[in-house]
Amino acid sequence: MSEDADVIIVGGGSAGATAAIRAQERLPRGRVVLLEKAHVKRSGAIAIGMDGLNNAIIPGHATPEQYVKEITTANDGIVNQRAVLAYAVASYAMIEQLDRWGVKFQKTESGDFDVKKVHHQGRYVLPMPEGYDLKKILTRLIKRAGVQVHNRFAATRVLLDRGRVAGVIGVDVRTGEVSVIRAKAVILCCGASGRLGLPASGYLYGTYENPSNAGDGYSMAYHAGAELTGIECFQINPLIKDYNGPACAYVTGPLGGHTVNARGDRFIQSDYWSGQMMLEFYRELHSSNGPVYLKLTHLAPETLEEIERVLHKTERPSRGRFHLGRGHSYGSDRVEMHISEIGLCSGHSASGVWVSERGETTVPGLYAAGDMACVPHNYLLGALTYGQICADSALAYVPQVGDAAVDRDQVELERARILAPLSRPNGIPHHQYEYKVRRLVNDYLQPPKSENRMTQGLAYFTRLRDELEEVGATNPHELMRVAECAFIRDCAEMAARASLFRTESRWGLYHHRLDYPEKNDAEWFVHVNLKKGPDGEMLLSKRPVEEYVVPMTREELSGYQGLRVRAPENGALEATTP
Amino acid sequence: MSNLDDREVAKAAQALRVGNAQTVRVYDVPVVVDLAKCITGCRICIDSCPVDCLAVNPETKKAHMRHDECWYCLACEIDCPKDAITVKIPFLVR
Repeated sequence: MSEDADVIIVGGGSAGATAAIRAQERLPRGRVVLLEKAHVKRSGAIAIGMDGLNNAIIPGHATPEQYVKEITTANDGIVNQRAVLAYAVASYAMIEQLDRWGVKFQKTESGDFDVKKVHHQGRYVLPMPEGYDLKKILTRLIKRAGVQVHNRFAATRVLLDRGRVAGVIGVDVRTGEVSVIRAKAVILCCGASGRLGLPASGYLYGTYENPSNAGDGYSMAYHAGAELTGIECFQINPLIKDYNGPACAYVTGPLGGHTVNARGDRFIQSDYWSGQMMLEFYRELHSSNGPVYLKLTHLAPETLEEIERVLHKTERPSRGRFHLGRGHSYGSDRVEMHISEIGLCSGHSASGVWVSERGETTVPGLYAAGDMACVPHNYLLGALTYGQICADSALAYVPQVGDAAVDRDQVELERARILAPLSRPNGIPHHQYEYKVRRLVNDYLQPPKSENRMTQGLAYFTRLRDELEEVGATNPHELMRVAECAFIRDCAEMAARASLFRTESRWGLYHHRLDYPEKNDAEWFVHVNLKKGPDGEMLLSKRPVEEYVVPMTREELSGYQGLRVRAPENGALEATTP
Repeated sequence: MSNLDDREVAKAAQALRVGNAQTVRVYDVPVVVDLAKCITGCRICIDSCPVDCLAVNPETKKAHMRHDECWYCLACEIDCPKDAITVKIPFLVR
């Protein structure tokens, strides 16, 4: 199969949905093609739903400038503020749009949005108690707009014409048919690299992220020549021990829940997920005060019911049966917590494809939105907002450039690469290969990091590039898995190389180096960018942090440095600075 | 070098060259389908699964979990119109 499109969107999750809807609405007679590896009705990071917006900037509660400051601080100063500001300015209109589309937000008796405080400084959390409707609403809008949806299609490479976008190639994961779709603009919305580290349970698919988000977009952007950034700023989240859901201070915090150590004492001031918070969490976990728990036992039964209603229905509906299986209840047992496997995700941290405030990558015609695009701490609302921004940018770009020709050689090489595993039916099974890569990611890349360990890990990831040639497949489903193995390996190598390059510690646990334990602003107050070099190997560089559009004082910049609670001799609680 | 060492040298070299041998292994899988309730020809749960681990079982013509690749997200269970699916937490996790 081969077809033409005005714009291609790869990935039908939150960002891909709003990108496709916006593009098709603005091009009523145009051809907008949405490629989805799963099925749009249950795809992306929020396959089931989401119980709230973590970063709602609602007039009267917060301003875009306050939000830009909060995220600049949370990300230790290394942000492209223009990109964060573009989100902050455009996102309220997205909330109003969602409200009109029928998404139910929590409101006060007077009808205002009921915003909660979870962040260290401002108020940005807006509960969405019926968030399980969101996927249904987006799916209906995609259909109604008339978008051409190809479900169960795994895109594997962006096709190029002399350095600019010419289309996408991929494979139907049910039939094994390889197809080319030609377009001058491609918006990558492929989600996080969520199958990078191995969960402590050892279950390959027990990941925090939806396992279909295997880092496809990171790898495709890399092979297209785009720059990636902040890859060393890993995603690590505080989760329920063994279970892949957040214990969820976001939901329970405003209702009185909090994180405690084994002695029952609080040890962090703010449950907002940041690298600094995760470092304190890690230290407590590995001290004699560990394990760490979410404490809800002190709450009233009706509050616990409210918590269960949200936590057991929307984001992770199997959570209730997990607790039941262990014989635990919130009223009588604390919820044991742990730290997640590592991943790459700008939605939660800052590792992603470099994008401008218009969603442009460094490759002409290539755009990126959502968890895979570096707009730090962007979450669900960031994905929805940047999907629209990318659609607008792509539609402005397309009429300005001439036709792009698909390179036959690139197509034939890629077709051969996709299908090669079928010639090895007795090859190494994909799940054994994947287990090995991800086990090595845990062994060598899990923070705290060090040069010796990561260099050793890198040698294994290089060797795994050759071992990929031994992996076999006997059907189209397995072809998809082998393609994902290659994405995962690429992400592992990127994670190692970017982490080796930045010889300082920053973002708390996300890039905590034992051999360079201090932050070094003199040399490293820069972005670390990574792209494919002329020799086909990974090339790293420093990119200066642009002058802030929202100026920061020194105190504001260090606002996340004192997250540990300490009980000093006079008995009062106060923050410490390390 | 003794004969045993010579043999080991030869076998070690052969181990690098020899083709792969395979076996079949049985997995306990999280998605359990009630065959009495599941409708032949319905593919709703198979469409819902974000990791495409469900398929029609050629023997029963009903849905089953073909690949042990479950996110235990419950999409299949929630979307099934006949309440034919029960998702267990995978053994390694529960």
